Amino acid sequence: MRGHADLRAAVAASLLCAVLALLLPLSELRVVFALPLTLFLPGYAIVAVTFARRRLERAQMLLLSLGLSLATLALGAILLNYMPGGIRAGSWALLLVLVVIAASRGAALRRPRPTTTKLGIPRLSPRRAELGLLAGGALAVLAAFLLAFMPLSAENAIGYTEMWIKPFSNESRAGVKIGVGNREQSDAEYRLRVHIGPEGEETVVYRDIALAPGQTQVRVVPIETPSSGQPTPVVAVLVMADSPTRPYRRVSAWIPPTGESG
Amino acid sequence: MARPRSTIEPFPVVVLCSGLGLLVCSVADALSRATLAPTPLLYWLGVLTVALPIFYRLTSEQASAGERLALVCLLGLSLYAVKVMRDAPVFTFSDELIHAFNANQIGDHHHLFRANPILEVTPKYPGLEGATSALMKLTGLSSYGAGVIFVGAARLVLIASLFLLFARVSGSARIAGLGAAIYTGNFNFLYWGAQFSYESLSLPLLLLLMMALAERESAPRAAWRAWAVPAVLATLAIVVTHHLTSYALSGMLVGLSLAFWYVHRNWRPPNPWPFAVLAVALAVAWLIVVASSTVGYLTPVLSNAFSAIGNTIVGEDAPRGLFQGEGTTVAETPLIARGVAFFAVALLTVGLPFGLRELWRHHRRKPFALLFGIAGIGFFGTLALRLTPPAWETGNRASEFLFIGLAFLLACACLEALRRWRGQRPVRPLLAAGLGVVLVGGAISGWPWDSQMAQPLRIAADGRTISSPPLGLAEWAADEVPRGRFAASVADAGLLLTPGGHVAIAGSSPDIEDIIDAESLGGWELPLLRRNKLRYVVADRRAARADSLRGYYFASEGSAAAELAPKSVVTKFGRIPGAARVYTNGPITVFDLRGRR
Repeated sequence: MRGHADLRAAVAASLLCAVLALLLPLSELRVVFALPLTLFLPGYAIVAVTFARRRLERAQMLLLSLGLSLATLALGAILLNYMPGGIRAGSWALLLVLVVIAASRGAALRRPRPTTTKLGIPRLSPRRAELGLLAGGALAVLAAFLLAFMPLSAENAIGYTEMWIKPFSNESRAGVKIGVGNREQSDAEYRLRVHIGPEGEETVVYRDIALAPGQTQVRVVPIETPSSGQPTPVVAVLVMADSPTRPYRRVSAWIPPTGESG
Repeated sequence: MARPRSTIEPFPVVVLCSGLGLLVCSVADALSRATLAPTPLLYWLGVLTVALPIFYRLTSEQASAGERLALVCLLGLSLYAVKVMRDAPVFTFSDELIHAFNANQIGDHHHLFRANPILEVTPKYPGLEGATSALMKLTGLSSYGAGVIFVGAARLVLIASLFLLFARVSGSARIAGLGAAIYTGNFNFLYWGAQFSYESLSLPLLLLLMMALAERESAPRAAWRAWAVPAVLATLAIVVTHHLTSYALSGMLVGLSLAFWYVHRNWRPPNPWPFAVLAVALAVAWLIVVASSTVGYLTPVLSNAFSAIGNTIVGEDAPRGLFQGEGTTVAETPLIARGVAFFAVALLTVGLPFGLRELWRHHRRKPFALLFGIAGIGFFGTLALRLTPPAWETGNRASEFLFIGLAFLLACACLEALRRWRGQRPVRPLLAAGLGVVLVGGAISGWPWDSQMAQPLRIAADGRTISSPPLGLAEWAADEVPRGRFAASVADAGLLLTPGGHVAIAGSSPDIEDIIDAESLGGWELPLLRRNKLRYVVADRRAARADSLRGYYFASEGSAAAELAPKSVVTKFGRIPGAARVYTNGPITVFDLRGRR
């Protein structure tokens, strides 16, 4: 590829992007290198080999680079599906680098003679006021997205309390985990009653479960495994502290969990 | 020639307006999420702040071809940002949840074609999800993050391809800019077409292919082979990405080949008939070898549409009321909004004959232009389909393909108006305003009025974030249920797929919806659940549980969505011997039927 600066740059960039996208620990940094590798370089290399003997307008070249990269990804997934190991980060990186290298090599062979083709980035010379306007637009977009991704309070939204139960059983012990989550819009105080046995023979009560909005508390209730081997019902009832006689939430489980699967 | 020091180019001003418009949209969304019921006018003001300066500049004679391309790219991406901001940071369109599930399946299992419990046909067309998996794998991004970036790139391809296609066919960058801008007024551009769904990739690739063929047609003979490469690659990618687009592509290429023959009276290159044969062969081969279930998926949709049209024509069925949704939680579209939508269609209708006249005058020897003319007329046929309920979807889906032709025709008409009344001041503002009406009216026609702005999905309280009841259910399932298959209503099932990560079945086949909705069990339900290996069943009392648009959010005090079904909808499952009530958040309760006896 001697003499073809753009092709050498494309190959080098694909190798660099692939290695860094695979090795960098932070997802945000990996995005910076994965985007050109996935959305531009394969298409650019294919355009280079396809139009090796013709000059494309810059807009056509950029559009085809992006569009053919998308097509390469759609078709590349089918190819990788039938490769050993399937669709993984490493196989994607390898495939995309191979596409770039092969197409760039083909372009270098097909081009009439070594050229100094560059990507041809247009020279822009905006005035200070224009730069200010562009920066203002970018800041407005940034603010718009920050606001869009920010959860906001919504006083009229109807909150709720969630409750769940999860039985556990192993050789050493059995019991249930009971989770209570306050998804109301204000602090809440609960009481939890856990009835164990067919008639609720044993009852465990947890008072003073005070939760702020968004908080969750998990209680672990150990339960003796019945010697008969018959499953024991466990029913957990949650009440609001200020209305202790009115069941608010109720969940149930069997210890040990038995029955057919599926 | 050097610019005077005092002048400011219009493009930076337009960029600033776009940014401010997006900020206004975001504020309107934020107020809506905060259940403060902002006036929709604020939201539309934001959309128009984005679009009107671009429309106005596109009507100018001064802008260069490069600036026009930059303007339409800015328009396309800004309108995509409007959709992204509405949903951030979770997918909320029902198709998005299905495709995100497929993408996650590829991520987890490293292979394509894994089953989808809600839309069986989607994994058979894995182009979008397979491509998205590259970004997911290489970056560690979620299907949401990777999907948003990927669809954004596809939107850029769509709008830029449209511009270059129109520029090549018309020979005018002005028509190209106006045509691409008019296309944003198609009913699905702002919302439905911007979602993470297979058509969001296949339609841009279709336009890329059309652009390549238009370039091939006008290129010297030596370049024909070069332009064939992107056309073939795009055809292959479309065939593995979306069924309907691959059939539309086949039809378009056949039509284009015939138009070529009509104009040139021969089948020699650059007549694109070999591409038509390739597209038909590939689409049929993929259908037979990989995606045979597509027949069962599409046949009822199309046959119902055709029979409904017949029934409506002979008076057996009443026509569908426009702007009417099903269900008690659907708000009525205000009269003024309906008026804008009708006015937009009226503008399109008025522009059509002028566009056809311009096409006949200047472009009738161009095969692409003839195809655009037929498509533009055909678009109005799809409007008639909206009058019959089963045909509505068919008409809606066809319209975004046919609107390509209509956009070209109307751009020709706009240019003629600008030429004829050149120098008259109101012309450009009036045209820009007309394009604004088409954009807003199209969006109102294509997406329910009460779902245009963001709804509360995650809210802040005391410095923490609270998820809506169905999202809370999905998050619990993701955290606490190692693996399980759920029977659920449509909205709950979607979120259980993504972000829940579980197999969830909803709808009428198998008949889950009757099991969920009934107030008592009749005896057939448990065997059906057992046959489908559904261990968990999600009982939901919310009125919006079966609504794939509105069923994901918090209900507000006093709203129709706050009404609950009778308690027996839930308690019927508690009477199943051995059933365990493992999760509840009030309106939604999950039963584990593993221990049923």
